[in-house]
Amino acid sequence: MKFGLFYEISVPRPWGRETEKTVYDNCLEQVALADSLGFDSVWAVEHHFLEEYSHCPAPELFLTACAMRTKKMRVGHGIVVCVPEFNHPIKIAERTAVLDILSGGRLEVGTGRSATWTELGGFRANPDETKKTWDEFVHCLPKMWTQERFSYQGRSWSMPTRTIVPKPYQKPHPPMWVAVTSPGTEIDAAERGMGSLGLTFGGFAEQEEKVKRYRKIIRNCDPVGEFVNESVSTVNFLYCHEDDAEGVKVGKHLTGVLNYLAAQLLAAREAYPTKSYPSLGLLPSLRRDAAGPGDESGAPEGIAIGNPARITRELKKWEAVGVDRVNFLLNSLETVPQESVLASLRLFAKEVMPHFQGSSDAAAAAAGGH
Amino acid sequence: MPPRFGTLDSTAWGKWASTIDGYKTEELTLKGANILELHIEIDDDPADALIPKTMHPAIPAYSIFNVISYPDSPWGAFAIAELRVAGRTGVRPRGFVLASICNNEEAGKAFAGRWGYPIRRGDVKLELRHDRVVGRASLDDRPVLECELLDRDAISGGDIQYIASMHLARNKDDGKLVVVQVDPEFTFSKGERGKPRVALLDTDAFHCASSLRLANPISASFAVADVSLPKIRYICNPDLPAMQGTTKVAA
Repeated sequence: MKFGLFYEISVPRPWGRETEKTVYDNCLEQVALADSLGFDSVWAVEHHFLEEYSHCPAPELFLTACAMRTKKMRVGHGIVVCVPEFNHPIKIAERTAVLDILSGGRLEVGTGRSATWTELGGFRANPDETKKTWDEFVHCLPKMWTQERFSYQGRSWSMPTRTIVPKPYQKPHPPMWVAVTSPGTEIDAAERGMGSLGLTFGGFAEQEEKVKRYRKIIRNCDPVGEFVNESVSTVNFLYCHEDDAEGVKVGKHLTGVLNYLAAQLLAAREAYPTKSYPSLGLLPSLRRDAAGPGDESGAPEGIAIGNPARITRELKKWEAVGVDRVNFLLNSLETVPQESVLASLRLFAKEVMPHFQGSSDAAAAAAGGH
Repeated sequence: MPPRFGTLDSTAWGKWASTIDGYKTEELTLKGANILELHIEIDDDPADALIPKTMHPAIPAYSIFNVISYPDSPWGAFAIAELRVAGRTGVRPRGFVLASICNNEEAGKAFAGRWGYPIRRGDVKLELRHDRVVGRASLDDRPVLECELLDRDAISGGDIQYIASMHLARNKDDGKLVVVQVDPEFTFSKGERGKPRVALLDTDAFHCASSLRLANPISASFAVADVSLPKIRYICNPDLPAMQGTTKVAA
């Protein structure tokens, strides 16, 4: 199992310029430390207008800064919005290629379609169309990355023959993922040979079923790219502390704040009745599961908060249901002081990572001290 | 926690509140309701003054127009028109009812006394045409609302999500103002979606003259559903955040 960081970049009011800069600076410091500790990847969302909850509308810029500060960590779009009102597909192909070059071939490309009316309405995008445009985009992107000359006549967009440059550093192209929030999207990922980038917590049983379904279908997939990226990742919170009660307490506060913020946003389904959004998406799921029933400590099931032993135990359960990678949210609204976030990362790398295959580098790195 | 809360002056708004006969309301199911609902974004800042402190504004702020026709009830057929401002009570989506207009005296009294609807007597009509569904309301023969769903398009009732309501009401027993949460359950037998259009809105009739400014239209839906009005489960202090001011009154 591999471990990564996942950034929404939530910023508390009042939004002075120093507040925004401090939050971004803190994130970058966390990423640099995580790279040295052996974390595998850093992912950043693309969100717009989600006041306080996420101030990350330009993930390619943040990820470029991450790439410049790290040596090994992969940098991932979690996700780039594949809706033409948000991003033109040519620009996505170009931007991702440049980021792949600048990062020395460390890019992962997560794709998705937005789940809030706050964003879709802001761009005047039609919620009925987003799944269709996403499908078109993900079929086009690998060809735009690999074919010397490319033309396209499609449903939502078209272009005459041109040479899209540059091409990505990774050959044939970066791994592709799909954000999985709505039920059944893991099937979309599997059928297209793409990684399943889970953005909801869900329970173990629910996740196990999803993983089984995904792995079964991907065996016979028709990949959109030139290779199959069979991978399952999920998102989680992380707050690791020597004292279990303190870890749970701070961690629960952290999860509560982010979930509370998420609930203030307007889910696409709430505002606009459509079969295109069968669930409320990321936000309510975050809220439900992270606030769900736990054991006597009050720690919700499956959430990586508490002392190293508890976190190891919970992550082993995720591993057992077939998850390859867990990406962690570290903070929200700067609820947790930066020094505590950094200490949590160090402790996790030293005490938890060594228990997981694929994280052996981490133990060595952490043992070196940081 | 988000610092944006509603800023409604509950004491001043209290003059529009109905008197509720306690919180021991029994559940009531009304069959075959015809429900027109429009969602329209509204200007954020002034709209904060249209929801009580127990609620957070939705992001973005939006209004909900309802015209509902009930073909059968213990009080006979009746219809209700109302205007709500959407927000959040804690983490739950809720719509604060600015005003309701009902065309049946007895039904209006029951809705006010049992669930705290801020009801006024008026004329309410829901008209189903092939190209549109039109809801109209008037007070003292003066039209105050005309809203439409245009270009009717069939969808599944399962795709429709209606949010619960919050009513500012005065408790008959102690005279205190409370916000009553009413979260009906809907069993859909038909669903449609279309474009929303508000042809007429007399904001004075809904007590929101300068504070409600319609902006970006979102959607309109029409549904046929059985509506179960529930027991009252929660009440809130209008002047406290929901996390501090919510009281559970029934399981």
